[in-house]
Amino acid sequence: MRWNLVYSIVVIVVLGIIWIFPVYSLILGSIKSLSEVMNTPIYVPPKQVDLTTIAEVANELKIPLANTAIVVIPVAVLSTIFGMLAAYAIIRRQSKISDTLMLLVAIATYTPYQALLVPFVQIVRSFGLYNTLPGIALGFLIYYTPMAALLMVIFMSVIPRDLIEAAVVDGAGEFSIFRRVVLPVLGPGIVSTLIFILIVSWNNFFIPLILTRGYNKFITLKIFSYVGQSGTFYNRMFAAALVGSLPPLIIFIFLGRYFMKGLMALGTGTKA
Amino acid sequence: MQMSLKKFFIFFLPALIFGALLYYGVFWNIYIALTNYSLLHPVPEFTGLYSFMVLFNDYEFQMAFERTMLWVAVLVVLGNIMGLLIATAIFQLESPRLRNALTAFFVYPMSLSMIVVGIMWRWIFDPYKGIDVILKGLGIGSIDWLTGYNAFWSLSLVSVWVYAGFSAMLYLAAFYNVDRSIIESAMVDGADTFTIMTRIVIPNSRQGLLISTIFLALFAIQMFALPYAVLFLNPFTETMVMYVYNKFVSQYFFLASAAAIIIIVVSAFIVIPYAMYGLKKWIVRR
Repeated sequence: MRWNLVYSIVVIVVLGIIWIFPVYSLILGSIKSLSEVMNTPIYVPPKQVDLTTIAEVANELKIPLANTAIVVIPVAVLSTIFGMLAAYAIIRRQSKISDTLMLLVAIATYTPYQALLVPFVQIVRSFGLYNTLPGIALGFLIYYTPMAALLMVIFMSVIPRDLIEAAVVDGAGEFSIFRRVVLPVLGPGIVSTLIFILIVSWNNFFIPLILTRGYNKFITLKIFSYVGQSGTFYNRMFAAALVGSLPPLIIFIFLGRYFMKGLMALGTGTKA
Repeated sequence: MQMSLKKFFIFFLPALIFGALLYYGVFWNIYIALTNYSLLHPVPEFTGLYSFMVLFNDYEFQMAFERTMLWVAVLVVLGNIMGLLIATAIFQLESPRLRNALTAFFVYPMSLSMIVVGIMWRWIFDPYKGIDVILKGLGIGSIDWLTGYNAFWSLSLVSVWVYAGFSAMLYLAAFYNVDRSIIESAMVDGADTFTIMTRIVIPNSRQGLLISTIFLALFAIQMFALPYAVLFLNPFTETMVMYVYNKFVSQYFFLASAAAIIIIVVSAFIVIPYAMYGLKKWIVRR
């Protein structure tokens, strides 16, 4: 066998074990019985599968899971639509104004939202939305709409200009060009943006933490609440972490290529 | 033919509203940082750069700043090394499907919440239930992963685990962009894979290094949920964002805003050249 393949397999296997080990322990730990949790390290497989903890925790997570879905799905859909419209405007008009707005969108995307803690809370409070689900959604939209706009500009920039020009010459209005020419070829870009924002907002901890009280309004807050109250019963913590991560993890497993496309676009600024 | 200015703003309006709120936040931060707004002064009074004087003399902030910069250094250096290691390993494989699947596999930690990542690693570092049990069994002895200063190093390694796959993905994209003809002519000249990788592919992937460095630095500056999930507000792992959060919770709003300005300035130094470079590319393209 060639040396480079040996190198490649050694690196992938050794690092692969380190990469899989945490999730492997997470799954095993959440299906252990209480006595085994007390007596065995996290990575030892259970002698018998015990689903009582996971069922119990899943029941406790029902409300936060529903709340999170109620917030995150509209946020992903709305920011994608708003981003798409803004991107179309930027693509269709070349001027100082659109270039400046584009630069502002790009800077907003890469500005650490954590630094906007104090104003975010103030903005959400001034709309009377503190400690509500629409308040969390507003916090997300402020940050994810510019990100969606940037992603959409990147995905739209590869649409041939001739295609749009031809429609303009035919006398089509902007909304009909957008609907008939741009939308049909933008499918994968839309899905990427949607999936990307869905996953990152589902996993966000900081924005719900600063905009609400208590733990039940968002899944990551609820998962965090198990850290304090479960002591050494790692099975409860693991079960909460596992159940709470299932939606993004399942989306990643089946539609991961779209998430990767989104990451890649934000990273390199081009459609890979 | 271009879109009319009126239509431009109709299409841009929804994004403009949320974008404007974001920039309003940035300017509001600057304003608060120039006042003494806090629990003791609920009506903000203009005090100039007073908040920054307090901030720079605050030992807690100095430590948080240093620690965040150290975090940037660790994540940039180790993240790039691991990313390059993974990318070169995946690059040797023939099958594009296998390459893509493995890339996704190494990126998967990024699809998990940092809270979940924190919970998993908190137990892996546990002295009685974690990998210390294996280390003791091997006769290496246990490591106090989360005690004192060790916690910082352990958690910065966890952040490398989270983001190395992203770095690998950027390197792989750069590798695929290297001109095939240069590689093929080197192969004709009898160069082996090692020479091709170290002399041609990696040196021609500077863009991968650049982008990966920028993003790893940004991720490190934003660090909050991981140390918070594992050790709550432990002084040994307090980052700049955690400092902002602390000062917000204790209602020293002017200090929270001043520290936030420092975070924005530091990230702007990293991001603005990159955004300008990206902008040029998008303008040329359309």
